[in-house]
Amino acid sequence: MKNLKKILVLVLALVMMILVVTACGGDDKKDEKEEVKETEKETEKETEKETEKETEKETEKETEKETEKETEKETEAEVEEAPAGEMTGQINIYTRDAASGTREGFESVVGFKDQLTDDANEVSSNGDMATKVGEDVQGIGYVSLTTDFEANNLHPANYEGVEPSVETVIDGSYQLSRPFCYTTRAEGDYASDEKEQLVKAFIAFMTESTEGKEAVLSAGGIVDVDDSTPWDELKADYPIVDQDNSGIEITTGGSTSVEKSLTAALEAFQPLAGNFGFVVNQTGSGDGWKRTLGDDKDGPNASDIGFASRNFKDEEPTEDAISAAKYCDDAIVVVVEKNNPVTDFTQQNLFDIFTGAITNWEDIAK
Amino acid sequence: MNRIRIIKDRIAEGLTWLSSGISALMLIAIFVFIFKRGWSTLNWDLLKNNYNSENLMAGYDHIDWDEHGAFTAPGSLPDDAFFSEKYGVAFVDSVSAAKAPQMEVVFLDPESPLQDGKITTAGPRQGEKLGLEEGLYLKKISYVNLEGDKKSAGLTATQGKTSEELVSVLDNDSTEIVDFYAQTEGGGLKGSIITTLLLIGLTLLIALPIGVFAAIYLHELAPKNKVTAWIRSSIELLSGVPSVIFGLMGMTMLFQVTRLFGITGQSTMLGALTLAVILLPVIIRQTEEALINVPDGYRMASLSMGATQFQTIYKIILPNALPGILSATLLSISRIIGESAALIFTMGTAIMDNPAWNTRGTSLAVHIWTVMSGEQPNFELASAISIVILIIVLILNVSVKYITYRMTRDKDEQKKNNKKEKVKATTET
Repeated sequence: MKNLKKILVLVLALVMMILVVTACGGDDKKDEKEEVKETEKETEKETEKETEKETEKETEKETEKETEKETEKETEAEVEEAPAGEMTGQINIYTRDAASGTREGFESVVGFKDQLTDDANEVSSNGDMATKVGEDVQGIGYVSLTTDFEANNLHPANYEGVEPSVETVIDGSYQLSRPFCYTTRAEGDYASDEKEQLVKAFIAFMTESTEGKEAVLSAGGIVDVDDSTPWDELKADYPIVDQDNSGIEITTGGSTSVEKSLTAALEAFQPLAGNFGFVVNQTGSGDGWKRTLGDDKDGPNASDIGFASRNFKDEEPTEDAISAAKYCDDAIVVVVEKNNPVTDFTQQNLFDIFTGAITNWEDIAK
Repeated sequence: MNRIRIIKDRIAEGLTWLSSGISALMLIAIFVFIFKRGWSTLNWDLLKNNYNSENLMAGYDHIDWDEHGAFTAPGSLPDDAFFSEKYGVAFVDSVSAAKAPQMEVVFLDPESPLQDGKITTAGPRQGEKLGLEEGLYLKKISYVNLEGDKKSAGLTATQGKTSEELVSVLDNDSTEIVDFYAQTEGGGLKGSIITTLLLIGLTLLIALPIGVFAAIYLHELAPKNKVTAWIRSSIELLSGVPSVIFGLMGMTMLFQVTRLFGITGQSTMLGALTLAVILLPVIIRQTEEALINVPDGYRMASLSMGATQFQTIYKIILPNALPGILSATLLSISRIIGESAALIFTMGTAIMDNPAWNTRGTSLAVHIWTVMSGEQPNFELASAISIVILIIVLILNVSVKYITYRMTRDKDEQKKNNKKEKVKATTET
């Protein structure tokens, strides 16, 4: 009796553990497909080993049930697949996690803030989104323009008839994008005159110079590199860069989305401007203005340059700043699976889909 | 015993089995999850490297490029390396721990003109010799092309983003190299590990004495009246406040305290002060518990032998309560390592390589936050950092447990001896 009970409990706990492990394995799908296969094999091996150890019929039954369910789901999905040409069936919506700047940008451009349908599947990263939509012919999601569409089996959809590309974002015809903006502190509000000059030099480097724009572009920010001046020519206006600046530390604050492009620009500027130090202290778009011009500008979180992955709001006036502007764009691209014939969405289409007003592909107005 | 009673007992017993089984296996599942994800990312370099890479730039203005001929690739080059015959340098594409593409220099011919670069960055190192050495990560290289224009190639340029492309650009299109921009290897955890240990030390230094003395007052000295009860319950209430609130409080109130030390911004000291406040309820509660467990007979014996109240406290009660205080320390350490929300406000999110008590820094938990907060969360690196955290907690726990064991062992032996003597005495009579 006693042994039987122990075994029963162990079996129950084991089933739970297997569920947890397979759930973990499921998350791996965001990486490449090969990795998924590998992890699946691993979990299979693990479950095999465990079942071997316990040699319990019940666990086998459980796993059998699970696999049965999975196969059922798969066959269902296959049935739903419509012949090429006309797209029918349910729309599977994928969205990013609430902390994502891409999601914030997408929701604000399409204009459905807080109205997202409850049926949306949440994914944890840009790569995760690309993999999931690439595997789901009924799926629709949105990714950043830097994503490799071909490798993920995706088709980048047009927005209001405009094809997403670096060129269309720069000329402004592709509207599904958001600006990355910066603001400096007020004139004379820096700890030292050298720091103020260095900040001015960095802003010029990031927004005007070829080297700075190339660095931003290489880190995913969209800028027009052709419309730039070599730093060697700009340099003359900023004599501060020709002295040893290793004692100066520039602190940045604000949006976390800008971190990559900002760090790339700072790193590229560091050896050109006397090895100054920098602290990239990003916490969120709301803090960008607050820590340079707002309430926190003299607090412990004070920043020398503030960033936002949106335009500064009306209640964030930047008139006092030495300069405040956009330094690059970030484009969001609506993606569908490669074989999906629906490849053009209007703002109204997307609004209807993501708020749940339209749930089937055939209902999308052409 | 009737049948129903037996069944009830069995069910109760089964429930205990089930609960402990589930909790143990959940723990194992977490371990499996973290190790599966993070183990491959974790390596020695990750632990000992700086997070911020050094950015280096060197120019070749002074070199006569016509003197140098063709180079041949050495046999020892890895298969995925691309060798530039014109300049005698080889690159390999790789991906950093932060999942960013990298271009590592794996070979530089000793005769190569690229050996003789001079640092162009203003400062004390300006003019120092720096070649495109092995181990550096090339970001960009500027060259003069066949038409005589200055062009650039590399990861941060518009062309030459892979080693193969870069080498073909250099070999076919360039006549001379103007300068290069490269980085040392970065992305390491060294700074965050040091900050974490520093934070633990500082916090305990502040919180332990205050907590222990507060507990002594509350349990040994305070009159048992409404005021004491009120103080005690408000301390307990404190442990229910979310740590974000403490972070905000630290940022506005405790910042004024650190200002007295001449600190102008976020600092490890500010983080430690805030954490000390968070930890006070835990330490006071645990210490009081330990004081309660000291038998009243000890106090009375000590007092009756003429010792004053404070002699009793310091020489009798505290030594006997030490194991309890140490377990409070243990709980505190776990809390410090796991805390992130309060530290984002007080210590910032910028990862520093040379942390000090008066500078910013990130504990490992905040490092994870930084890694996961960007547009491309890096689960592998986050799991690897979790493993590091687990190892640090394990080491600290084992060492504290060992100290407790060493301290209580002597006493237990005495007790055993006493018991044996008693048994002997009773059997003899």
